[in-house]
Amino acid sequence: MGKTKMKRTEAGSGNLKEHFKRNWPYYVMMLPGIIYLVMFKYIPMLGSVIAFKDYSAYKGIWDSAWCGLTNFKKLFTYPDFYKILRNTVVLGLLKTVLTFPVPVILALMLNELRNAKVKKGIQTIICIPYFVSWVVVGGLVFDIFGIGGLFNNVREFLGMSPLLVMQKESWFRPIYVLSTIWKESGWGTVVYLAAISGMDPSLYESASIDGASRFQKMKFITFPLLVPTVLTLLLLNIGSFLTLGFDQVYNLYTPMTYSVADIFDTYVFRVGIQQAQYSFATAVGLFQSVVGLFMVVTFNKIANKVSEDGGLW
Amino acid sequence: MKKRYAKKLMSATLASVMVMSMLSGCGSADSKSTEATEQTAEASTDEDIEIWSTNNGYLPVEAGSELYNFYKDIIGVGIVQPYVEWNGGETYLEQLNLRIAAGDMPDMFTPWNGVETELIANGALLDLTDLLPEKAPHLWESIPEDVWDAVKANDPTGQNRIYVIPQVMSYGRNGAMIRKDWLDNLGLDMPTTQEEFVEVLRAFKNDDPNGNGVADEIPTGGRAEARWMGQLFGQYGIAMWEGYPQWDIYDGELTYSAVTKNMRDCLEWMSGLYAEGLLDPETFLNDKAAWDGKINSGVVGIWEHLPQECYNYAENIYNGTGVKPEIAVLPAISAPGYEGYYTMHQMNGGGFVVANTDDEAKIDRIMKVLDAYGNQDLWMKFYNGVEGMHSEVVNGESVRLPDDPSTQQNLVLVPFNQIATIDFQVNVLSSQLTDDRAWAVSQAIENVQENQKYVKSFAGDGMPESITSDYPDIANRTLYIEYATKIITGEYSIDKFDEFVEKWYATGGTEVTEKAREWYAKKAQ
Repeated sequence: MGKTKMKRTEAGSGNLKEHFKRNWPYYVMMLPGIIYLVMFKYIPMLGSVIAFKDYSAYKGIWDSAWCGLTNFKKLFTYPDFYKILRNTVVLGLLKTVLTFPVPVILALMLNELRNAKVKKGIQTIICIPYFVSWVVVGGLVFDIFGIGGLFNNVREFLGMSPLLVMQKESWFRPIYVLSTIWKESGWGTVVYLAAISGMDPSLYESASIDGASRFQKMKFITFPLLVPTVLTLLLLNIGSFLTLGFDQVYNLYTPMTYSVADIFDTYVFRVGIQQAQYSFATAVGLFQSVVGLFMVVTFNKIANKVSEDGGLW
Repeated sequence: MKKRYAKKLMSATLASVMVMSMLSGCGSADSKSTEATEQTAEASTDEDIEIWSTNNGYLPVEAGSELYNFYKDIIGVGIVQPYVEWNGGETYLEQLNLRIAAGDMPDMFTPWNGVETELIANGALLDLTDLLPEKAPHLWESIPEDVWDAVKANDPTGQNRIYVIPQVMSYGRNGAMIRKDWLDNLGLDMPTTQEEFVEVLRAFKNDDPNGNGVADEIPTGGRAEARWMGQLFGQYGIAMWEGYPQWDIYDGELTYSAVTKNMRDCLEWMSGLYAEGLLDPETFLNDKAAWDGKINSGVVGIWEHLPQECYNYAENIYNGTGVKPEIAVLPAISAPGYEGYYTMHQMNGGGFVVANTDDEAKIDRIMKVLDAYGNQDLWMKFYNGVEGMHSEVVNGESVRLPDDPSTQQNLVLVPFNQIATIDFQVNVLSSQLTDDRAWAVSQAIENVQENQKYVKSFAGDGMPESITSDYPDIANRTLYIEYATKIITGEYSIDKFDEFVEKWYATGGTEVTEKAREWYAKKAQ
């Protein structure tokens, strides 16, 4: 404890100069990252000010008139606001509840495989979809479920009439979840496997000496040690709870499934970019971000309570 | 302890990066805008005029390219056009908005979806009222005076100035077409009543009209968002332009055609056709490429498009299947109790607007382009394009080559389509009757003239898009598409239509209708 205190004063006001003198190479190394952050993340953030302005692209940000909270009022009184909010929350929940655990389970299962070649092979195969763009995945999904696609050929074979599920509301959510699992879980698995491979082998050795079965080792060693990683990734996920990813929904929905598929991102795109209502779209985006920030802070607190090392900060 | 502190610091930094990236909002839009500016930056110089217009997949026009030199020779001004995908106007508008937001508007562009309204109000577009008669007399005279008056009346600032070069079509361009050879194969007559029409659809579905032994025929259909289905909407007297419901007089007052009894009855009928499998089950998933692909592979019986361009379909069907199809105009059919027609849209939005500038020399160059655009003596040249790319010389006369987006540059100036008269269309087509194309082109000549018997204009023609600009969902027809497509596919019963009408009026329809009627009252004076 005393050591920490001393360190703090050392880094504090008095010896700042000396501190820099000693550590300058580290600061230089950080510089590109900081410049990147400021240029591409902080400076564009100033643009959020147009959420409070009646922005006209021609007048520019400064000369556009202030309009207070008009854009937010418009958002909250927008007749479809609750529909979009509901869709976003439902899809976000589905994503967190149904797709988030999949890589954890996959990683635990893969870890038990004895044959290294099979393990690597499976790992590679499930990883590949992650590198395929949603545009391509969207095209594949539409083809698989189209007339003459795999899905309807099977139905035909079974003597059922063709079904165009891409225009059915009730099918959108399952397709959304399944396509997410197919595309994303392989990548997540790699992260967990990396965490597992970093675990202390002596723990397993002593467990073996105590006569623990493989399942017991998984249950009492691997999984508990994995929890901090799981929590960190969960927190990162939750921060983007309302930012589900525009490209996935955009490439999977049709006007016929808007009622269950339209989320903030796609709505902002249609109204903001296509109809050039920038101020309104920014207000929606800002709303999303504030909710995201709030959720990260809240869940971080909860995570800190659940396990000592659980939170991000 | 120290290690843990470092880890926390790192995670905190990481988390703040995440949060910041969220706060900074739509990242993809940023990257797209830089992409768009990069593409064009290398193409244009100060002397050239950058013009954006519809491009359905053709090659861009770069400085020094063949089409660039072609325009430069005729007009004396270099024209460049980057590749901007049209995609039903959606992608085009997106790219255009990004360029406008970046403060780098193209010098001249086709406005879409009311984008010009705000630009005019902010003084971003060039006032052409005095320039046109003086510096582009050919264009000034090519467009009738009453159309110019209508353009003036639509000036959103209320000053009666001209900012927009309108697209004028003095004839009915869109209409329904039918595979006459299929009717002949099955020994059927051209349908003239709705009952006969449905019988023909059934025969097309069940009796193998293309004779390939497989039941692969699609009697009729259309595209996503219920677009290009005028062959069906028209039967109920619904003013409908390429899937966009229009404003016409219903029950004695100007009304949005989507919320009328006509629409209700039509959707009910269409849902029956869909359930019976007479409409393409994939209709609402078809994009342009998918639907055209089906027509071109010779499996579609009846569709709505441009009769004047039906030679494209005919040639594609022939190339793909070896069958020379006979495409005829389907006479407008009336549903019981209604008067059917195909919608004729004379004032079809804006053709071009010009970015405001103080640069006199640049204004002169743009006016030169506009004058040439309106000069009917040059239209034939513009139509034939670059020799060897768009056309070839046969017996001393230029003849267009078949359309091929992969080798042809996009024709930037197509006045014959934008200030169109049927006479010029027929003349143009008549010049293309070479030995190997005559069979197809002659069908187009016949069809474009035949179609005029069945077309009708509507009261809301020329209504400015600014009327709906405060209600993006009405402009996007979001609610209409949702209910119409779901009713047709049977997901909703027809009773839901009343809920749609109620919702539409409640979410801005009342205000829009009021504005539209005000506009109409003014126009009628």
